[in-house]
Amino acid sequence: MIEFRQVSKTYPGSSNPVVKDLSFEVLEGEICVLVGPSGCGKTTSMRMVNRLIEITDGEILIDGEPNTSMSGTQLRRKIGYAIQQIGLFPHRTIAYNIGTVPNLLGWDKSRIKDRVNELLELVGLDADEYRDRYPAELSGGQQQRVGVARALAADPPIMLMDEPFGAVDPITRASLQDEFLRIQEDIKKTIVFVTHDIDEAIKIGNKIAILKQGGILAQYDTPENILSKPDSEFVSSFVGGDRVLKRLSLTRVGEMDLERANGGTDGLLRINEGLTVKDALSELIGSGHSRAVVEKDGENQLLTFEAIEDLMGGASGEPSNSGESSV
Amino acid sequence: MSNPALLLLQDVLEEPKLIDWEWLQENFWEDIVPALQGHIFLSVISVAVALVIALPVGVLSARYRKAYPPVTFVTGILYSIPSLALFAILISIPGVAIGPSPVIIALVAYSLLILIRNTVAGIDSVPPETIDAARGMGLTNRQILFRVELPLALPIIVAGIRIATVTIIGIATIGAYINGGGLGTLIFDGIGRQFPTMIIAGAVLATALAIIADLLLLALERYLRPWARARRT
Repeated sequence: MIEFRQVSKTYPGSSNPVVKDLSFEVLEGEICVLVGPSGCGKTTSMRMVNRLIEITDGEILIDGEPNTSMSGTQLRRKIGYAIQQIGLFPHRTIAYNIGTVPNLLGWDKSRIKDRVNELLELVGLDADEYRDRYPAELSGGQQQRVGVARALAADPPIMLMDEPFGAVDPITRASLQDEFLRIQEDIKKTIVFVTHDIDEAIKIGNKIAILKQGGILAQYDTPENILSKPDSEFVSSFVGGDRVLKRLSLTRVGEMDLERANGGTDGLLRINEGLTVKDALSELIGSGHSRAVVEKDGENQLLTFEAIEDLMGGASGEPSNSGESSV
Repeated sequence: MSNPALLLLQDVLEEPKLIDWEWLQENFWEDIVPALQGHIFLSVISVAVALVIALPVGVLSARYRKAYPPVTFVTGILYSIPSLALFAILISIPGVAIGPSPVIIALVAYSLLILIRNTVAGIDSVPPETIDAARGMGLTNRQILFRVELPLALPIIVAGIRIATVTIIGIATIGAYINGGGLGTLIFDGIGRQFPTMIIAGAVLATALAIIADLLLLALERYLRPWARARRT
């Protein structure tokens, strides 16, 4: 869907490239997260997709066509764009903001209006209440929702998102991420998502591209493999010392194979099957017991330390079992 | 007391009254209204011509930053020439007749600095992320200018227009010195005839005109900026 081929970017007057020989492919319907420390060229890489920044060397293919096969403005109208600072037009209503690209594409008014209402409901804002407001009347989290709705407006198959949930508090951020993943299950966009936060990358990404200083691709793989098989010192230190715990956060308790409890569950902690294994482990340790009860498929099952160890294929962080489930 | 000779003497000896209401009434349509109309004409034309020059120059200066210092240098010099001297210089140029046109040229020259500077400041005030988002959604440069930058620069541009207008209405009174017309004619005539009523009428009307113009522009700016009203709710 989107393919980077030996892409390099060097700014005029500078001898050091900010992105160097970047090659990877984002499959249709997948979220590819570009992550890395500041100065690693992740935003530059994203902005080269819709040519807000022009490539120095190499090419980016979209559906097999180089992205230079049409004008920059035409290209950008076909690609959703959402950024951390949101950049809503302060002098336009929410409806006008969301309708920007449909407007540019010449949709008729009633179609734009229907689309705006649909999108507001999709991102969890009451259309009648918010349609005619101005951005300054909305909270930061609401503005971020509008920013995402605006990027989705013309139903582009591809979306570019640069820390779209970066400017809000952690709680709002987590709920925006959850909602975003819920929406993505329905709309199946091909998304290039930039963040500096490895936890967000693990939560959001189908694939993660870890970049290091100078715009060099350190590793490109699934979150599971990045956590279990970091292929360099840089990646394992960037992922952090808690990568085993992070792997646990990829799986929910409900997805584990657990033994049935044969009576005697009184006094044991009851754990919701929707919890991540990481959170469940934390609660289990906190309960002071070695077992907890999970109610699943209408029966009581037992969550034990052994079950969690089995999930990890031994808690050492060695290559994982092929049958392992992931979100 | 009823001796006509004595009455006449009293009239002559008396200091001229500060405000001669009778004169105002008698000359309202003949002198005062045309002077006011002339003043409004001079000011409106000058601001309009100045805007036609300043907006594109300001937009270009904001885009091509290297052009901005020379632009402010030239308009700054124009702004600093004493108005009386500027009028004198202008009418000495062959082909420039005495009358309203040199006055308008001078008033335009005075307002350029303020208008260009505020246009640049207005465009600079547009949040970069708003422009980035606009470009990222596929707006062309022209669409970004007319749909995003200029509307958002509007409050600062209008603030410049208000200052320029008030300045112009003030300086325009001096234009009567070279037969430009306007309220200055009342003031200069009043000085010549040592008749304070005319001076006061000219000064009060010029001041009132400046205040009313300022308030009208303020109202216009509020009207054109509904999103700023919404912010307070």
